[in-house]
Amino acid sequence: MRMMDRRTKIWILVLVVFCALCAGAFLILRGIGGDGTVAVISVDGEELDRIDLSRVKESYDIEIDTGYGRNVVHVEPGAISVTEADCPDKICVAMGRLQGSGIPIICMPHHLIIAIEGDGIDG
Amino acid sequence: MGDRSLSKTRRLALMAVLTAIALGIFMLEAQLPSPVPIPGVKLGLANIITLTAMLILGRREAGVILLLRIVMGAMFAGSPSTLIFSAMGGVFAYLCMCLLTRFIPEERLWATSAVSAVAHNAGQLLASILVLRTPGLLVYAPVLAVSGVITGVFTGVAAKYLVRALRRLRL
Repeated sequence: MRMMDRRTKIWILVLVVFCALCAGAFLILRGIGGDGTVAVISVDGEELDRIDLSRVKESYDIEIDTGYGRNVVHVEPGAISVTEADCPDKICVAMGRLQGSGIPIICMPHHLIIAIEGDGIDG
Repeated sequence: MGDRSLSKTRRLALMAVLTAIALGIFMLEAQLPSPVPIPGVKLGLANIITLTAMLILGRREAGVILLLRIVMGAMFAGSPSTLIFSAMGGVFAYLCMCLLTRFIPEERLWATSAVSAVAHNAGQLLASILVLRTPGLLVYAPVLAVSGVITGVFTGVAAKYLVRALRRLRL
């Protein structure tokens, strides 16, 4: 392999540092959420439902028709997840269960967001 | 930018072929299960074509190909409700490519591509935050940025070799 020139090295350094900063930012941002227990389900920013997961005694399912498509949300004590969706990518189902702080579940094609409301962050 | 020696007819034919290939790649990728279950994280292989078109044909042509691919891609593979997200991502990435290809030599196309991929993801996230009115989605920003760097370097390297191969063909 040829020797890398200086500019190539600089670019590699810049990108690696950028990734490291992102990793740090992620850890900080995720911490801000705190350990809230209230799950908020919204479509296009409009709140559909608000569930205090710490008060859920028995699991149940909610069916949501967002106007863009259908999702089945599974509510269980302390956690919430999307178990069914008729969107093409099914990423929301693959994201699994959301509990405590964590990154919100999104179903992009259906404009659906499920977030746990923390203390500081607007969610 | 671009090879001006190509005749008008050849340019048009090449644009059509590249659009078809971009759409094909886009739809094929949509069929693959996502390797990481995070919305917005994807390989973005179709951008190999956008970059290639920019170097072989020029900025305007690459823009047309990108626009056609986004609109037809949403019609055929995605859903119309995601069009706004991919369009915003596409515009951000395109502007970034236009600017960076002026300063970064073809040899380091991977750098242009990485920055453009990050710009794409930023645009997409911005659109989601605006449409879904949830600032909390910003938690996704670092994840999408890192994913953009990794996939961008990959598509950039691929585009560099494709550009070389196409030049060797002397279309």
